[in-house]
Amino acid sequence: MPDRSRPVLRQAVPPVRRLVPSVLLGMLAGLSSVALLASSAWLIARAAEQPPVLYLSLGVVGVRAFALGRAVFRYLERLAGHDAAFRQLAEIRVGVFERMLPLAPDGLASSRRGDLLSRFVGDVDELQNVSLRIVQPVASAVIVLAAAFAGLAWLAPGAAVAVTVVLVIGIGGAVLAQVLLAARADDRLAPLRGELQAAVVEHVQALDVLVAFGAADAGRDRIRRLGRRLERATRARASAVGLAAAAMSAVGAFAAAASLGAAQPLLEGGRIDGPTFAVLCLVPLAIAEVAAAIPVALGSLRVVRASARRVADAVPEVVPPEIPARRQGERVATSGSRSLTPAPGGRGVPAIALRGASARWPAITGDMTAPGAAGASARPALAPLDLDLVSGERVLVAGPSGSGKTTLAHVLVRFLEYGGSYRIGGVEARDLDPRDVRRTVGLVEQRPWLFDEDLRQNLVFARDTATDAELLDVLERVGLAEWAAARGGLDARVGERGALVSGGQAQRIALARAMLADFPVLVLDEPTASVDPAQADELLTDLLAAAGDRSVVLISHTGAPTGLVDRAVALGAEEIGPAGSVDEDSVRIAHGRCGERGTP
Amino acid sequence: MVAGGALALLQAGAAVAFAWALAALVVGLIEGDVPGGASTIVAVMLVAASVRALTGWLWEWLGSAGAMRVKAELRDALLGRLEDRAGRRSVTTARAATLLGPGLDALDEYFGRYLPQLVLTAVATPVLVVAAWTADWVSGLILVIVLPLIPVFMALIGMATEVVQRRQWDRLQALSRGFLEVLGGLSTLMVFGRAERQSRRIRTVTDEYRSSTMKVLRVTFLSGFTLELAGSLSVALVAVSIGLRLVAGDMAFAPGLFVLILAPDVFLPIRNVGAAFHSATAGLEASREALDLLDADEPHGPVRGDRAERTDAAASGSHDPITDGLRGGLRVRDLVVLRDGQPVTAPLDLDAARGELVALTGASGSGKSSLLAAMLGFADRTGELDLDGVSLGARTRRLVAWSGQVPQLVEGTIAANIRLGSEDADPALLLHAAAVAGVDVDPGLRLGPAGAGLSGGQAQRVAVARAVHRALAIDAPLVLLDEPTSALDVDRERAMAVALRDLARSGRIVLVATHRGGLADAADRVIPIREAIRA
Repeated sequence: MPDRSRPVLRQAVPPVRRLVPSVLLGMLAGLSSVALLASSAWLIARAAEQPPVLYLSLGVVGVRAFALGRAVFRYLERLAGHDAAFRQLAEIRVGVFERMLPLAPDGLASSRRGDLLSRFVGDVDELQNVSLRIVQPVASAVIVLAAAFAGLAWLAPGAAVAVTVVLVIGIGGAVLAQVLLAARADDRLAPLRGELQAAVVEHVQALDVLVAFGAADAGRDRIRRLGRRLERATRARASAVGLAAAAMSAVGAFAAAASLGAAQPLLEGGRIDGPTFAVLCLVPLAIAEVAAAIPVALGSLRVVRASARRVADAVPEVVPPEIPARRQGERVATSGSRSLTPAPGGRGVPAIALRGASARWPAITGDMTAPGAAGASARPALAPLDLDLVSGERVLVAGPSGSGKTTLAHVLVRFLEYGGSYRIGGVEARDLDPRDVRRTVGLVEQRPWLFDEDLRQNLVFARDTATDAELLDVLERVGLAEWAAARGGLDARVGERGALVSGGQAQRIALARAMLADFPVLVLDEPTASVDPAQADELLTDLLAAAGDRSVVLISHTGAPTGLVDRAVALGAEEIGPAGSVDEDSVRIAHGRCGERGTP
Repeated sequence: MVAGGALALLQAGAAVAFAWALAALVVGLIEGDVPGGASTIVAVMLVAASVRALTGWLWEWLGSAGAMRVKAELRDALLGRLEDRAGRRSVTTARAATLLGPGLDALDEYFGRYLPQLVLTAVATPVLVVAAWTADWVSGLILVIVLPLIPVFMALIGMATEVVQRRQWDRLQALSRGFLEVLGGLSTLMVFGRAERQSRRIRTVTDEYRSSTMKVLRVTFLSGFTLELAGSLSVALVAVSIGLRLVAGDMAFAPGLFVLILAPDVFLPIRNVGAAFHSATAGLEASREALDLLDADEPHGPVRGDRAERTDAAASGSHDPITDGLRGGLRVRDLVVLRDGQPVTAPLDLDAARGELVALTGASGSGKSSLLAAMLGFADRTGELDLDGVSLGARTRRLVAWSGQVPQLVEGTIAANIRLGSEDADPALLLHAAAVAGVDVDPGLRLGPAGAGLSGGQAQRVAVARAVHRALAIDAPLVLLDEPTSALDVDRERAMAVALRDLARSGRIVLVATHRGGLADAADRVIPIREAIRA
């Protein structure tokens, strides 16, 4: 499998113009650090020779300047570096979301919410270290090391070589320690974190049931076990990182000893003076400190790569065949014949015609689900179906659950790809951009999503030009005016996932949204599933009255009051043959049955 | 802790020995006379450096182990706390996930780095200062003056950052919540053609997060700046002062060089503290919310006693004062359910004997679900609520089988979902429960996270089967079903009504909240529920 983390990692590296300032500042900070030690060693050693004070003044100024420079440059470097790194995160987040869109919603159905959240927040955050801990410090360190090497070589080539050899061995050792000890832990760390997060979400979302059934302990044990595994991985990594840090701290001393050994003959031969010798002996300590950034960066690289991979894998790469493909560009450039507007038929309500239309749900695979989990989808498929909906017609689609009613709804709004034919106003839906289809055909879902905002926000996104008066009017039409007024009007909060409203109210809010959006064709998926029967009939009556001359597909297993719909179609594995057509008789039977059911 | 202190002492000693050895070598070689032989001193220097590195490593390891232990304990305590508050919806799933994930991870820095470094600093810094003072009291004095300034400055900066950091944590929360909302509502957004514009929203939120983070960092990095500046300026002060006194002939070369080498080491521990400080306080902010949750008021009524009591009951065998005998069934007097201290139902009186199927009806929002919640101890209440003379609540959940309006299925097979909490029950019960609830999918089918893979109606039937299974497996005297038939057609509803009546006849009280006529018709009694009249 090709490594999908690479593009993500590249995306995390800031563009050159933002990277250069922080690299330069980092370099200046590192150089100041080395120069501070060199100049103070020189100052003291030279002073010990008791020259006139005048000879020392340069050293004194240097020591103070480098001391100040180190702190100032470091501060500026950190600011510039963080800003550049953070800017990339916005790009990556949006990128993940945009890759998700072509698959949504049915291609993402069983994604773990908690896991996806941890990828989107935690793992993307981790990617800031691509530039903060890897690219930028390594670039700065390499420049400083090269400069320091040049400086040492100018004073004593032998010492430069000796220091380099020790540094290379030290860095190599530190890296090796990390690879041997930490690599496995690092690779496991990010997935384990995601798994723990997913386990917590799974536990918390079903907590009421787990507590009521006395089954919470098992879930907690599982979280505890995952926590312990995460703990072990974290500890292994900490000890490897610590070992590398320890190696680098010892390397400074060994480099100083090596430099001392190499420079000592020069001192004895009188080719260098005492102060130079002191500089050669002490500077390796500062150089090693700068070099310590390199093993740290390599350690971070593994963590960051694991996160990048998880970000990359958050969304499957290939859109499954069950999900309709989007048509790039055509949506804006509607000059072609494949456009829905203006629709034929004058009033603008295009006719819908299904011929042998069938559909199934994609199997969600890939990294997003744990092995073996949710492999086979139990969601019912839609057997080939013929359905006609002339302009302004209202059709009831009935059938037992499992007969593919929701599947049909998802086909009509192009969440799912179909076999056979589905024409809107004479145009094959497959030839249209799904987004254009959804401007014509609207859906009220079985479990409508309410955002954790106020009532206004939950309505206004359907038509952002709507005034408060229009919103209140539409609430009136779905029978929520009184309720909304009691709750404080449009500012009433609905809670997380609509926790503060009942199922029936949630449905009404969703209906209000659909009315605001003014879809010519409306698909209602079980709108009355959680509404009182009396209110259900009233609601359907209100709704269909409000629908005016729009076409309506009403999906319901309980039927509708007599006279509300023009026609009924029965779905059902037994009733629908391979041909899938519903003949006049069966429609009449279905219709009659619905009428019976509707009147209690 | 004692081992830690000893390690810190050892580390400081090694640093002193290393500085002394290097200074002695350099001075000795320049002056042409190495006391004790150069190779011996080189050996001392390298051993000292190695000891220092090893103790540093051990120290790091100890710190991280400690942090892990603290974190595991906190996670456990938090989960326990969430369980106590089950049914009250006080903590959203997203918040719990952030709290238990990144919220606790942020503590790693505090317990794993900041605290150990603080201890190390407290032990090692005095040793190093004394060593410097002994060699050259003027340098020692400079260090003694500069060092205390650092914590003072850090405290000032810390106070300034606390507020911004709290705001920062709120922003991280908003980021998580915003994304979960976009993700969960994606199909709704797509229906309304609003999915694409969410990219812009995500970009805006992330960008706001960046600019606010930068504001925080500008201040928090100041503490790093202070440390760096104090460290490097003291080295400069020490170096210049030593240099000037050397020129004047007021001091010897060797102690001067020794102090110069040692000076950065004096600041190293406190610099590390500063480095850990920024991320550690960010962590504290993250964990504050967790700690707040732990400290929050205990919910009303008996809370965690249920576990202990259950073991007592198990130990005493079949003799259980609660389930023994048939003393009066369910007795409800003046029951009012409270949410956030506010009454949500009108006072209710109700009597039900074993064998009865009772339907609670009322408009949606009238409080049927709240009544069931009160019987499970998921909601506060006033008034009497007794089953066979025992007050119902969190302690008595083992007498109750329940299915709520939201199925709340978990990852695993359908069979595992149905047998939740009664895994050892007779396998025949599984099929029976599935038949009662009308579950028509293969019990071996594996569900995804949060029970993904079933249609809404199927999931609800599995949830009802789960309650029926529990009722049979633990012989629960009270069965509460919230809208069990809302996803069923009329024929199936009729079948379920018959099955539920049989369930009641086998010696149970079955309470169903329903707005559907079919089920209410089959019930022995129908009790209308009214909403509390709001003042």
